Amino acid sequence: MSHRILLVDDELHILRAAEYKFKRAGYEVLCAFDGEEAWQLILENKPELVISDYQMPRLDGLGLVKRIRECPETATLPVLLLTAKGFDLARDQQAEALRVSAILGKPFSPRELLAITESLLSGVAQPASAP
Amino acid sequence: MSDSGRTSSWLSIAALALAMSTLVLCAVDEVLFVVDSTGKWIALGVTLLAAGAAVATGWWINASRQATVQRYVDLLCRIGDHRDLANISNDNSLPFPADDSWHRVFVQVRSCILAYNDRLQEADEIKAVAEVRAHRLADEVERLAEILASLPDPVFSVDSYGEVALTNGAARKMFGIEGPRGDGKNATRGPRDERLQEMLLEARRRKAPWQRAAELDLLDVEGRSHSCSVLIRALGVGQDPNDEVGHGAVAILHDNSQLKTIRQRHAEFVSAVSHEMKTPLAGIKAYVELLADGDTEDQETREQFLGVINGQTERLQRLIDNLLNLARIEAGVVVVHKQQQSLNEVLEEAVRVVQPSALEKQIALQSDLSELFLGVQVDRDMILQAAINLLSNAIKYTHPGGRVTLRSRLTEDEVQFEVTDTGVGLSSEDCGKVFEKFYRVKRHKDMAPGTGLGLPLAKHIVEDVHGGKLVVESALGEGSTFRVHLPAANSASPASSIENRPMESKSRSPRSIEA
Repeated sequence: MSHRILLVDDELHILRAAEYKFKRAGYEVLCAFDGEEAWQLILENKPELVISDYQMPRLDGLGLVKRIRECPETATLPVLLLTAKGFDLARDQQAEALRVSAILGKPFSPRELLAITESLLSGVAQPASAP
Repeated sequence: MSDSGRTSSWLSIAALALAMSTLVLCAVDEVLFVVDSTGKWIALGVTLLAAGAAVATGWWINASRQATVQRYVDLLCRIGDHRDLANISNDNSLPFPADDSWHRVFVQVRSCILAYNDRLQEADEIKAVAEVRAHRLADEVERLAEILASLPDPVFSVDSYGEVALTNGAARKMFGIEGPRGDGKNATRGPRDERLQEMLLEARRRKAPWQRAAELDLLDVEGRSHSCSVLIRALGVGQDPNDEVGHGAVAILHDNSQLKTIRQRHAEFVSAVSHEMKTPLAGIKAYVELLADGDTEDQETREQFLGVINGQTERLQRLIDNLLNLARIEAGVVVVHKQQQSLNEVLEEAVRVVQPSALEKQIALQSDLSELFLGVQVDRDMILQAAINLLSNAIKYTHPGGRVTLRSRLTEDEVQFEVTDTGVGLSSEDCGKVFEKFYRVKRHKDMAPGTGLGLPLAKHIVEDVHGGKLVVESALGEGSTFRVHLPAANSASPASSIENRPMESKSRSPRSIEA
């Protein structure tokens, strides 16, 4: 059974690169251009993991994670964030509080992204939601 | 005159004696009945005459005496004005009888006055010196007050009771203090900031050169916060080292708010630039890795990936060009190559460059260019960059499904092109600010990444380099129009004079640098 994941980024070419990598690895990939669109796709398609950019129009990455955590159905959904901005203590603390699984800097390696995703999904098999 | 006075007194005394003897004789006649009547009348006449003479003489003596007294009084009055003294002493016509008591008085008074006059002269000299010093001091105080007033930094002092004593214009403006000096009625304790007041209180208990510095956020009279460097100094060095009482304190403030804003904007700018650079870099890295890992099976995909890499490389290059050109234009270090160009051709090129991003965002990009040949004397690369910046700005701030239109036209003496969008629009306040470097409209910041450089650069290129004009017309929610006015190149002589002036000033320095 293939894993279903959601990719969110307002930069089309980055979205396509990641989509290509995951599809070749046998994933079922959903794509969204901003947080609002992503939230709709999460509710409709119940992905097992979300990979999202930080800076996006309408609803940004942290806003999306907050919404995911506030909804009981999606509260334990693993989220991986990508950022082109450097180190930001306040933001990283916020991400930690929102139980973001990992933060990856841009430019990122699709290979590395796939590896992290695989390890996160295999970890989910034994419910990781318990702290 | 004194002789006659003395003679007259003798005369009157003689007349009095004669009259007295006549009266005695008459009395004797009466008693003895010896004298006949004629003799009686003669004696009576003589007696009366003598008495009259005596009275007249007495009156005359008295009058002459009074005249003398009056002369001395006049003289003393004149001496009262000491400046006349020398003249009076030399006036030989005045009567100075050696044995007259008036003269003695006069001599004494005169010597007193002479001594007094000497002291008065000394005092006059001292007064003159003091006046010069006082004048100099007044000048000095005035100059110091002017220097204090001209300081852009707020300065104020408090007295030993903590009330504001001396202020400069900057301090009065910041804290709304009235008048350069506090007075009893209008006593004010200056800024209400607790820490500042604590520092002033401590300084008042100390003696110079005690001082403390601090960084404080102070509220001005209108409630705005200013982040200030504050220096507080105790005032006055007590003569007595055991003197524990302070003399007040002075506070010197330096408002760092502007610097802080600039630093903040700069930090935001660096962050935005790195974000802008990392985004195309992320694409390049990702696709290079996909190609290197052999993830691509068919030639078509490989070519597609290479196309993306190429596009992202160009995007990165444009960003770096924007950065560099803006810095160079601002520093006046830029080489301008102006040539006769077809504006429409440059605009078509710009449309080709931004077309992919419009397609990606599902925005209709339309060209409505003039059918005439629009000749302009411009630096092609620069005008192309300005047009690209205006177009990509319009695409960024227009929602998917919107429209961006590029138009060009020829008017009487200029060539125009404009970019109109159906995007989010700008408030009138933001219309004035979008050409400021690093400025990004807050409410639309999250719509698209950006550096706040594209529009300022376009304005520099159009106005400073080409002597044209870039204006914006917009309203919130109703889209925007950015219009460029350029001098027409084929309208004979005036154009060359317009385009040469700004170009020369900008191009002189780079030539010498690059030579």
